[in-house]
Amino acid sequence: MSVDRAETETNGDRPEDSTLLAVDGVVKQFGGLVAVDGATFGVEAGSITGLIGPNGAGKSTLFDCITGVYTPDAGTVTLDGEAIQGLSPNQVAARGVGRTFQTPKTFRGMTVRENLAFAAREQTGERALGALFRPGRVETEETAIQETVDETLEFLELDHLAEEYAGGLSGGQRKLLELGRVLMMDPEIILLDEPVAGVNPALTDELLERLHELNDRGRTILFIEHDMDIVMGHCDSVVVLHNGQTLAVGPPEIVQEDDRVVEAYLGGYD
Amino acid sequence: MALPGIASFLVTIGTLACIWGLLALGLNVHYGYTGLLNFGHVAFFAAGAYASAVLTMPPPEQVSQANYVIGLDLPMPLGFPVSLAVAALAGGLLALLIGSTSVRLGSHYLAIATFALAGIFEDVLVNETWLTNGTFGMNSVPKPMRETLGAGGWQVAYLAFSALCLLGVYLLLDRLIDAPFGRLLRGVRESEDAARMLGKDTNLVKLKSFAIGGAIAGFAGGLYAHFLGSVVTEQFVAGVTFVVWAAILLGGVASSSGAIVGAFLLIAFQQSTRFILTIYGWIQSVLPEPLSGVLPAIFAPLPDHPSFVPSVRFIVIGCLFVLVIRYRPEGLFGDPNEVTVMGEEE
Amino acid sequence: MASALSQFLQAVAFGLVEASVISVGAVGLTLSYGVTRFINFAYGEFLAYGAFLAFFLSGAGAGVVGLPVAAVVAVLLVGALGVAVSRVFFRPISDRGALPLLITSIGVAFILRYLLIAGASAEARQLPVPLMRPVEVAGVGLTPLELGVVAVSVVTMLAIHLLLQRTMLGKTMRATSGNRSLAEVAGIDTDAVIRKTWFISAAAGGLAGILYGVLFAPFRPTFGFGYLIVVFAATLLGGIGRPYGAMLGAVLIGLMISLGSTYLSASYDQAYAFIALVGVLLLRPEGIRGGEF
Repeated sequence: MSVDRAETETNGDRPEDSTLLAVDGVVKQFGGLVAVDGATFGVEAGSITGLIGPNGAGKSTLFDCITGVYTPDAGTVTLDGEAIQGLSPNQVAARGVGRTFQTPKTFRGMTVRENLAFAAREQTGERALGALFRPGRVETEETAIQETVDETLEFLELDHLAEEYAGGLSGGQRKLLELGRVLMMDPEIILLDEPVAGVNPALTDELLERLHELNDRGRTILFIEHDMDIVMGHCDSVVVLHNGQTLAVGPPEIVQEDDRVVEAYLGGYD
Repeated sequence: MALPGIASFLVTIGTLACIWGLLALGLNVHYGYTGLLNFGHVAFFAAGAYASAVLTMPPPEQVSQANYVIGLDLPMPLGFPVSLAVAALAGGLLALLIGSTSVRLGSHYLAIATFALAGIFEDVLVNETWLTNGTFGMNSVPKPMRETLGAGGWQVAYLAFSALCLLGVYLLLDRLIDAPFGRLLRGVRESEDAARMLGKDTNLVKLKSFAIGGAIAGFAGGLYAHFLGSVVTEQFVAGVTFVVWAAILLGGVASSSGAIVGAFLLIAFQQSTRFILTIYGWIQSVLPEPLSGVLPAIFAPLPDHPSFVPSVRFIVIGCLFVLVIRYRPEGLFGDPNEVTVMGEEE
Repeated sequence: MASALSQFLQAVAFGLVEASVISVGAVGLTLSYGVTRFINFAYGEFLAYGAFLAFFLSGAGAGVVGLPVAAVVAVLLVGALGVAVSRVFFRPISDRGALPLLITSIGVAFILRYLLIAGASAEARQLPVPLMRPVEVAGVGLTPLELGVVAVSVVTMLAIHLLLQRTMLGKTMRATSGNRSLAEVAGIDTDAVIRKTWFISAAAGGLAGILYGVLFAPFRPTFGFGYLIVVFAATLLGGIGRPYGAMLGAVLIGLMISLGSTYLSASYDQAYAFIALVGVLLLRPEGIRGGEF
């Protein structure tokens, strides 16, 4: 991590060259309720960034705005300098944004192996005609996909569960599987919605270790987390969201001292 | 040479079972593999049947009671494969049309949309006499090679051909579903949100699934039209859709062989119950004198209007829905692991 | 010009009469959706049972009582049928999610419809209502019977409004509909609420069927399933689970059907309802009154 973050301001920092994902003035309303209200921050390439904030701060909605589930009412989301707001979720994903959900959405009626293989990109056999008339090519690709699946299974230590149906996995294993599925897409940036919530402590440590490993391999990670210790201990940068606005952005040790952050967390929810 | 009664009956049942087997395979692509609630399957079947009829019927001036305008009179037997291909195309295109308005909707909306669109399609068939000859029907659809083979030979040959078609479609589907394409469909069934988040265009996937299942149903329609030699609106009522549903639920969703077995069982049940009264008469005729009063005494309280026996058949089908869903959601041959999700909405 | 205007007004009037029938059914359907969260394809059978029970209880059938009394008894019986159906078919699988319930409802529809046909035959029937001359007001003619249908519907809507807003049952229904587990925590006996809602919902369906029978005689046992599309259209248009939306949806659908039949072609009456529905679904999937599905 040699990225220079010394100048990071608490609000309104412009995307710099090293910024992979930039959220700028994003607003999302539902009826009269403002869920995200001008959130602005950047995620630097190669960083692990934590997104924190009290319940109802708009974190998950913001994820939805970034990943195309919602189109923001105002503001821009840029990935590598290109605007991605308003694209559909699959288009955003195709540009290299992987995302997991707070409650894992695994394919429960499919095996762990199938879950992972599903996520591989650009499969000839995904097209009906390709599947029917280009068996050779499909098979070659499939062999490669299965190799990647095996690597991913090994990396996440899920190999013993490969042929199990996802519906039979524990909550923590599902989270791992969902992460693995995202990895199969080989994304540039991974957005994780509370990756360790509800996961037992041993598995939590392992999951965090995996995240660092991934990060070391050059992947950028943005994750939502409630546990301050985890955020402070594992993030290069922290974004604090409060009432849909960015309250503070910066390295954990600085953000932690920010009066407004302290107040937002200790002053209750309004 | 004509077949003797019982053989002819069995051959007819076999052919109908193959045709319904195709319908079930198509619906299974929709619901079993992709989780799409298609309650309008009969529309695709009808589209195929009518496409074949319009393509191969003689021009209206050669037919009595003809109110239709177009009869392209495609020569048999060479026109037969063309007719079937066009039937499949018609089913697929109608599915694309209906799908493009509806696959984006949530699954319950899709159920209602397809149900209603099939109802409207039925209205169209009844009312657009210039194309469909209305409720009178198109009754001169050629039976290919009927003269060459003779009545009995043709029936057997058509059964063999239908069985081959069923096998062919089964094998093609098998290949598709085993390939990453099948994985894609099943993932969309399991969680659309997740599939989308993994970069898959789920609406396109659903549309493809819809078109493939619709094309199979259309193909079945063409096969049906040339088998019966006639196409009449009352063959294409909503009940057909739900018989096919009963077949795939019974056989096991997400299992092609299950769908076929389910269709065979349902057709066998439907057709054999036609003869309940005949069988009753026969039993009554062979019973010795002292017993001949027993059966009438048992069945006397039952109403004797002509709708009674057919209604009992549908009551049984209704019970099938209820019982399979409650006690054996995976049907006879489904995989219980695959259907756990089918109850739940995201 | 005057005749064109009066033709239009007449079509609107007929539309509102049909809307009265639709709204009773749509409100009934939407109430049960509110607490059960699945689309009940057997709902059309409640309409058919209402009309046929009224037929058999009144002068035309066994000749037991007059039509108004027969109608009231039929409505209550259909309500009881609704409770029985939910108990026997739906409650045992209520924890399995919406899809199994929906598919089960198809089976239930078949069972109910063909039990009716097995018992009553597929013959078309007619309620014992007198033929009446239209009363003309400002160039628009409606029979006292049609006006009566509108009146019954308006009274029913008012009753449902008062039920929802002013009674304890209405409050608990709304609470259960909003969030069932929360309602349970708050001490509401949600099972009882669901049972009562089934009664009201089915009874409304029975009433809608009787009104249908009054307007569109003769009717067959299959009419309920056919009319389901129209009732669904109004329900979804109004945003399913929303009684007031269903009323509004019914008015729109009634007008669509009547205007379409008058000015386009009478062969496609249900299609107009459905085209309106698909249009709205595509533009506003949550229905004209919003809300979630």
